[in-house]
Amino acid sequence: MSPFWQQYLPLAIILSSLLPGLIIFTLKETQVKLRISLNLLGVSIKLVLVLLMWQAVKAGQQFYFSLPFLPGADLVLQGDALSLLFVVLSSVLWLATTIYAIGYLEHSPLRSRFFGYFSLCVSATVGLALAGNLVTFLLFYELLTLATFPLVVHRGTAESLAAGRKYLAYTLSGGVILMLGVALLHSLVQSPLFTPGGYVAAVLSGNEGLLMLAFALMITGLGVKAALLPLHGWLPQAMVAPAPVSALLHAVAVVKAGAFGIIRLVYDVFGVESMYALQLAQPLMLLAAATILYGSWRALAQQDIKRRLAYSTISQVSYITLGVAMLGPLAAVGGLVHLVHQGVMKITLFFCAGNFAETLGIHKIRELNGVGRRMPITAMAFTLGALGMIGVPPTAGFISKWYLGLGAAEVEQPWLILVFALSGLMNAAYFLPVIYRMWFLPQSGPWPAEQRLSNRFETHWMLLFPVIFTAILLVLMGVFAGTELSPLSWAQLIVEREFRHD
Amino acid sequence: MTELSMTELSPQLLLYIATAACLFAIGVYGFIVGPQTLRRILALNIISAGIFMLMVVLAYRGLANGQARASPDPVLHALILTGLVVAVSATAFALALLGRLKQTQASPEHQP
Amino acid sequence: MMVLLLVLPLLGALLMLLWPKVAPLLTLLTAAVCSLVALQLVSRVSEQGSLQILLAGWPSGLAISLEANSLSSLLILLTTVLQLLVALYAVATYRRDKLGAGFWPLSSLLQLGLTALWLSRDLFNLYVCLELLGIAAVALVSLSGDKAIKPALNYLLLSLFGSLCYLLGVAMLYGAYGVLDISALALQWQANLLSSAALVLMTLGLMLKAALWPLHAWLPAAHAAAPAPVSALLSALVVKGPLFILCLLWLQLAATTQAQAMAPLFSFCGLAALLLGGIAALRTPLAKNMVAYSTVAQLGYATLALGLLLQFNQPLFAAALWLFVLAHALAKAACFLAIGEMTATLGGKRLNTLKGASQTMPLAMFAFAVAGGSLIGLPPSGGFLAKWALLQGLWLQGDQLLYLLAIVVVTLLSAAYVFRVVALAFDRAKPVKPDFAPHIVPQWLALLPALAVWAMTLYSEPLLRLLKQEGL
Repeated sequence: MSPFWQQYLPLAIILSSLLPGLIIFTLKETQVKLRISLNLLGVSIKLVLVLLMWQAVKAGQQFYFSLPFLPGADLVLQGDALSLLFVVLSSVLWLATTIYAIGYLEHSPLRSRFFGYFSLCVSATVGLALAGNLVTFLLFYELLTLATFPLVVHRGTAESLAAGRKYLAYTLSGGVILMLGVALLHSLVQSPLFTPGGYVAAVLSGNEGLLMLAFALMITGLGVKAALLPLHGWLPQAMVAPAPVSALLHAVAVVKAGAFGIIRLVYDVFGVESMYALQLAQPLMLLAAATILYGSWRALAQQDIKRRLAYSTISQVSYITLGVAMLGPLAAVGGLVHLVHQGVMKITLFFCAGNFAETLGIHKIRELNGVGRRMPITAMAFTLGALGMIGVPPTAGFISKWYLGLGAAEVEQPWLILVFALSGLMNAAYFLPVIYRMWFLPQSGPWPAEQRLSNRFETHWMLLFPVIFTAILLVLMGVFAGTELSPLSWAQLIVEREFRHD
Repeated sequence: MTELSMTELSPQLLLYIATAACLFAIGVYGFIVGPQTLRRILALNIISAGIFMLMVVLAYRGLANGQARASPDPVLHALILTGLVVAVSATAFALALLGRLKQTQASPEHQP
Repeated sequence: MMVLLLVLPLLGALLMLLWPKVAPLLTLLTAAVCSLVALQLVSRVSEQGSLQILLAGWPSGLAISLEANSLSSLLILLTTVLQLLVALYAVATYRRDKLGAGFWPLSSLLQLGLTALWLSRDLFNLYVCLELLGIAAVALVSLSGDKAIKPALNYLLLSLFGSLCYLLGVAMLYGAYGVLDISALALQWQANLLSSAALVLMTLGLMLKAALWPLHAWLPAAHAAAPAPVSALLSALVVKGPLFILCLLWLQLAATTQAQAMAPLFSFCGLAALLLGGIAALRTPLAKNMVAYSTVAQLGYATLALGLLLQFNQPLFAAALWLFVLAHALAKAACFLAIGEMTATLGGKRLNTLKGASQTMPLAMFAFAVAGGSLIGLPPSGGFLAKWALLQGLWLQGDQLLYLLAIVVVTLLSAAYVFRVVALAFDRAKPVKPDFAPHIVPQWLALLPALAVWAMTLYSEPLLRLLKQEGL
């Protein structure tokens, strides 16, 4: 591949969703066909470009694009193995979500605005994944906040506006604190490229206090989006957004951005050795473990499907943080692969919840009785996703939890295995009753608000196909975890490259 | 040029300077206290009178000390002239605005 | 080249008085030509260093001298470009807003006053420029008609009072040193009671004119009462004039001991402005008042940066100071034009008018949001650059956690008042009449400066370098 390609491919990947998004803003409400084709065109181009990059990165190539920005911190887009993990995840799930959203929002108002911001949101996510240094990361992190706000408040109801305000208050505060931390670190070591093994080791002696402060500030800033314990308040409220938005927020864009940032921070900015030297891993581990248990505990009590899923997200995303914080290669594999697995599982669950709500008007868990007979495919997908979340083999969730457990043993933190076990039990306790209701209890009355969306299928095909796609994906990821195409092998490749430096 | 402190000024000039300072102070008092706009405009004029007086006195400073300069400082005179023009036009503008304000308040469609 | 920048607007204003019919055309023409000349000036100054000329061939000391360094030339470019933009906006909305015919010559005079101010390095010339600026600004405010007379009169009186305080300080300094030129004055400067008193007097006067907290009370009423294009000019440019002189005084004249003594006061005023201005912006129910209070708050950043610069003598703070000035000018022009356009089209002065504006007037709302992003300091906007310089300076200085904490708080405050509007805009819109057709051109004109402030980042490196070494 020519150097030209290597330079502009990362930029092209971002533009492939940004440009269609900008064009969509200018479209009229009635230009449905043009809008849909633009959307799908953007998705396909992006997928092709990502595929190209994936092949090249696998072969060991590096992609690098830079623009002059601040002194000591250019605007850098860089395609390495870790960024590819997130880029592939977001592009593939964007495909599913776009189709789902087209079906979900059929005949609803203001679709041009919605899809415009939808594309911006994905562009920001991909940019964040490709960001080559902290300043660039910060930039896309803030843009992501801005792009998702209109999606959260899309319905324009009082409830969604309140949720939007809360979302903004949390994420903007997080952004400012992150900016403070990035500025502090920049004043110490500038902002060089993300490098395996980190770059703060050079200034470690004499600056311990400031480095710890910078780490704490940045974890706080990232923790807002990653919904770490005291900063998770926005997530359950943001549920009022339309289902595709919730799916995107939970599986790909926002919470993952926070988790991905933590991965970058720990491995590529501070590095394992500095983390040990500064003794930063233990508090992060404790925080993540507490969030896991807290999220699961709160999920038990929720009666609204989407709220239960939201608390489940809080818990599940912290598995990633925990895997990273353990600082062992096996745990890192578990954390990284959970980034993908959790994304696919959670998006499936949210699609299903959206389908139940759209087709039958079901929002509460007790209304799910007997839904397995009316909507077998969706219920099946939901079951698969839930089993994955619990960690039942051979689903994808099992793989990540297995590696996390191995990792805990490897770094000799046996209490973490207890945390996993406890959380697993609670996962089962809040998902199994739902599954039981769906399949084994009789329908307890007429559906709250049934609509016939399709004559052939149980619901509109655009709502159904993405669910089938992601459900199959999550089974495949579990069953074929050993093959070269699986996220697991990719996570192992990343960890190999991250830990190889020493 | 060496610095000329207040002590080098003759008593007569000091008296003028004190008068100028009084004018300035009265003007500031009137500007801050005066409730009516017209009074405040006049107070502004008193302040500027004080400042111009100070400048005039400073222009004669060299003469009074019997120093090399044979005539009052022309630069200060030029400044005073400019300042006067500015002050007159600003006052006229303020009065015009005040007139319009009174007109609008007196007009029948104005609701108090 | 500098003379051309002064003569053109003056000539333009005179011609406009003679032929009022072609006044809009003349304003546009003057502003356009001046922008080109200013652009050339910027490139020449950046190549050859600062330029100095003495008017009419008089010897130095007698003649009016003009000096263009990189900062002045940048500010001139900003002035002329914003003037052009606002004039275009005024032309585009001429029919609807019934802007008085006085706008055209007055805005040209305003441009003249500002350009002369950026170029002057002589205390008395600066006074004349200040007065010209103040009177032109008041006259522009009073164009709004009857309701604006009272704030305009108040503005005029306070502005005159401020100028007189400044003038007294100038007289005292001239009495003591016998020179008016700032660089000559700096050579003989002595830190004593007289010079301190003169500095304090001038500072008070200038703070009153620049609406720096706690002397800002006149600004919201005056800026909110003015027509939208005038508010844009006032907030973006006019308040920056006295600020510029203030910086000249403290950075070039004042002795280190004086500067050190004053620095904490400036920092305190800056923080108070940011905090209280932000809270006021958050609480006011009126749309234009919100933007005006935000000006009070944002000027606090400049004051804070000035205070820190005096205290620590760190060039990064100089960069932060001028970046704030540049970024705020562009962002605030966009805000006022956007808000003015929306309130004029949707009819109403209250913020509630903007409910659902993202559906009815998406372009103007977008302009406001984009400009607001820079006011908050979101990357990669001009406001972010300035804030980044400020943060870098503070971290490098070490042990300034209090300031850093304060910056976090006020950033969130600015985010709160910007997003208060944005959240309203995403509310359900009231149904509009079928013949509802907002003008497109004015909305684009509001968007342009907002985009420009984000484009500032493309030139961040040269900007930072220039402004850091300038330091005034």
